[in-house]
Amino acid sequence: MPKVVKIPLLLLGSLAALFVVTFTVYFLNLDMKLLSKIEPFFLKHYDKMPRKNYV
Amino acid sequence: MTIHNDRTRIGDQNLGVLFNEGKVRRRREWRGVKDTLYDYGRWLYIISILARFIVKPRNIKAMFRYRWMANYLAVPHMVDKFTMGLRDEPLRIVHTAMDFVVYDVAQTMENIFRGDRRTGNDEKFSARCVLTDENAMTAFMMGFPTLKAILREVPTMFVANLLNQYSTTHYLDVAQQAGIPGDVCPMPEAEAGISIEDDFAVLGACAVQVNTTCDGSLMGNGIIAKRLEREYGIPTFQLVAPMRHREADVQDYAAQDIKNAIAFIEEHTGAKWDWDAYFECAKRVNDITRNRLAWLEMNSTNYPQFVGAPFSLYNDTNYMGNCGRSPKFPPIDRKIMKYAQHGYEAKRMMAPEYRHRAIIWGVQPQYVIDMLNWMIHCWGIVPLTDMLSMVNTRQIAEVDTPENREQAYYDMAWLNENMIMRNRTHGGYKVLVDELWQFCEQMNADMVIMWEHMSCKALDGMHGQFEEQARERGIHLVWVCHDLCDPRVYTRQAIRDQLNTYMRTVMREEPLDPTIEFLPDEKAW
Repeated sequence: MPKVVKIPLLLLGSLAALFVVTFTVYFLNLDMKLLSKIEPFFLKHYDKMPRKNYV
Repeated sequence: MTIHNDRTRIGDQNLGVLFNEGKVRRRREWRGVKDTLYDYGRWLYIISILARFIVKPRNIKAMFRYRWMANYLAVPHMVDKFTMGLRDEPLRIVHTAMDFVVYDVAQTMENIFRGDRRTGNDEKFSARCVLTDENAMTAFMMGFPTLKAILREVPTMFVANLLNQYSTTHYLDVAQQAGIPGDVCPMPEAEAGISIEDDFAVLGACAVQVNTTCDGSLMGNGIIAKRLEREYGIPTFQLVAPMRHREADVQDYAAQDIKNAIAFIEEHTGAKWDWDAYFECAKRVNDITRNRLAWLEMNSTNYPQFVGAPFSLYNDTNYMGNCGRSPKFPPIDRKIMKYAQHGYEAKRMMAPEYRHRAIIWGVQPQYVIDMLNWMIHCWGIVPLTDMLSMVNTRQIAEVDTPENREQAYYDMAWLNENMIMRNRTHGGYKVLVDELWQFCEQMNADMVIMWEHMSCKALDGMHGQFEEQARERGIHLVWVCHDLCDPRVYTRQAIRDQLNTYMRTVMREEPLDPTIEFLPDEKAW
């Protein structure tokens, strides 16, 4: 296959794959599902931090 | 009174399918090909804002330093709450407004961490920053184009609670451990807790606090100012707006206090007041006012377009936080206006039918701020406007003349007196009770959803007057009690249940979408 055809096809294929992946993440709410699992680790970290409470 | 939608909603019909008992939703909504792709595009844009923010080392450092930063994991989830059930122009209006609010808050946080002594520590930048009370009209910054007004409570507390209903609970516990009683308004109390735990970013040449909306705010400001001044050496000015702000005899005092605030900022930053910049901003303030009035006029008809929490939050950001200072807002206003006009002409509706037209009065529960959108889809009640959006309607002086330079101080004072909430919770029963009935008449409302914030002393005293006068006028008055930003007393469902009960027992109505009458979102963000 000549390069002038191959490169645009590859580009289109990559864009289509990117769309499929990101759309799946979007529609199944995978971004929020993942980040909601991360939150407890941050909260544990904040609990361990030394604080300088002052009124 | 009922208006039926000629168009059938494409995609998901029953919105309850999106919910489970988890922290986030089961999946995103199917809105038909066109609107789902539009929503997907906007999701990509939000993700790009978050990605650009988090790649900066100082922002990563901030993520590990400040507890409230964890709430920002939920930004796309918050946007989904506002767009639930929407199609066509209303979907585009909400995205245009709320996506810009997200962008604006991200910019505020960029500035905060750039100057913050613990993260970015850019001292030159910090010297050009003025910490500004979250409940302040930033009018007194309109003539300082070289300075940055930093509203640090906005991302730390206000927006954080829109993102995550439990964002304040840790800080409330901290405040109460320090001896502050639990019946104080949880908003200033949480802010006090943040300050006590040293979880505010520290920056700025000076700070300006205002006697915001209530005695709770004054208490919180006192604790915050003490730490700012004594520990961090940041001098703090108290800008005091008169309580009876509609009275002519208080305006000289209010204008003088604006002059004092400006002199204080000049003294501590070395910047000089710039009248050209001020009048440029004043033109934008007038533009904002005209646009808000046009949207309200549209909402007085059978086909409201820009409504609910996005209307309120966009106005908060544009009217109060921005106050004409940024040239980025007018194009967003124009875009929203274009969608709203198209939507109005095409008679676009957000639900299968509109049964009731409601004015939302009182202070909204921050942790279930999407309830107004839920109300449209569950019961066909359209929120025409809310108390926090009924602010200044006057045009201020916008041409630079010697007379207008003196008038400008009065205009800034007027704006400060008419910041959101204060212009209704202070100023006597006329601005809180009498004008509500005028708005009901102007906007053809048959219902008032009356938020009763259980810790708000400013509004609770008027309970009897509201009841008596609504009965006289034949307006359905639905009391909905909540605790502003603490979900532990009234859960989200307990709040919704008050409306559900009223609709079933008093109105004898069935929900439009029964799958969302009860939502398992007690553990949700």
